[in-house]
Amino acid sequence: MSEQVRIFVREFEIERAFQKQVGIFQNPKVIKKTKSRKKRIPWYKDVGLGFKTPKEAIEGHYVDKKCPWRGMVSIRGRILNGVVVSTKMKRTIIVRREYLHYVTKYNRYEKRHKNLAAHLSPAFIGVQPGDTVTAHISLTFVSFVRSMISPLSKTVRFNVLKVQKKVQKGSKQFE
Amino acid sequence: ISRDSRHKRSHTGAKRAQYRKKRKFELGRQSGNTKLGPKRIHEVRVRGGNLKFRAIRLDQGNFSWGSEAITRKSRIIAVVYNASNNELVRTNTLVKGAVIQIDATPFRQWFEAHYVQPLGRKKVKKEGTAESEELSKKRSNHLQRKIDARKEAAKVDPLLDDQFTTGRLFAILSSRPGQSGRADGYILEGKELEFYLKKIKSKK
Repeated sequence: MSEQVRIFVREFEIERAFQKQVGIFQNPKVIKKTKSRKKRIPWYKDVGLGFKTPKEAIEGHYVDKKCPWRGMVSIRGRILNGVVVSTKMKRTIIVRREYLHYVTKYNRYEKRHKNLAAHLSPAFIGVQPGDTVTAHISLTFVSFVRSMISPLSKTVRFNVLKVQKKVQKGSKQFE
Repeated sequence: ISRDSRHKRSHTGAKRAQYRKKRKFELGRQSGNTKLGPKRIHEVRVRGGNLKFRAIRLDQGNFSWGSEAITRKSRIIAVVYNASNNELVRTNTLVKGAVIQIDATPFRQWFEAHYVQPLGRKKVKKEGTAESEELSKKRSNHLQRKIDARKEAAKVDPLLDDQFTTGRLFAILSSRPGQSGRADGYILEGKELEFYLKKIKSKK
């Protein structure tokens, strides 16, 4: 059994409620005469802004309502980069963003960092600490200039869109 | 009951000091715990002057049969499974997402009128038993032609057919009785039905 099918089966057994995409009807009657329209189940969408849809999001078996491609969230607002610090949480990661802060008295910079919690869709497999990640903030726009954060959970306001694996030392050598 | 986040620790773990009293817009109300029984609904005035209908007891709901695309009002018989809490099953509490059993007769009547095929009848018939009025009724030529055209489509999943024989269908609530005062939902079919049947069986 492939890894993804195994996860799906596990979800089937572990979860107490049936995991499905809300609003997608999965039981049309199968009649011999009518041609099947080949609607893709599970349903997925393209997030736009030039972000490539991962293959896993199209072909995978997972159900995640917070996934940018399979879920009910939309991509809006700021897009930030960072480095993955930990992947120990279920479907979320901690991303570390480093920046330099200028101290005017000494005309010098100091290193600072901020950690943020980002939702990691099951479409991304094998994300390790050290990988670079592009995440977008989930925003709801109000009629005025200020935009509200629409939280995915108590601390999670970002959703991962792209992962770049850490470049291993010596990986570019010819075998 | 309040719904604020000021009493919770922050993302870093710091304990937040209380600097203001609870506000009305942060209020929460007691849960409705809708039970099965003759209809009893209380109205609640909510923010903005709007109304919420807190169902205290319900016995009927509007249920839809997805693959046939029809909806019928049907009696709710019992709560059979709840993913969150077994207590809610024991006390027959109606909440969104609760798997329940509903009366199959409205759906069977529609099916037999639409397709003129028996549904949920025992295979072996006693001699001399009259067929249901729907099945043996004389129909106009125009109507008969329509029915013949539908014959192909009159197939029912065997799992559903078994349920029709017992007279009870498995359905799941998709409305929130404590908010809208209604217990509406859809009949379980396909993978979802298999999933919940398995869960119910493993409970027993």
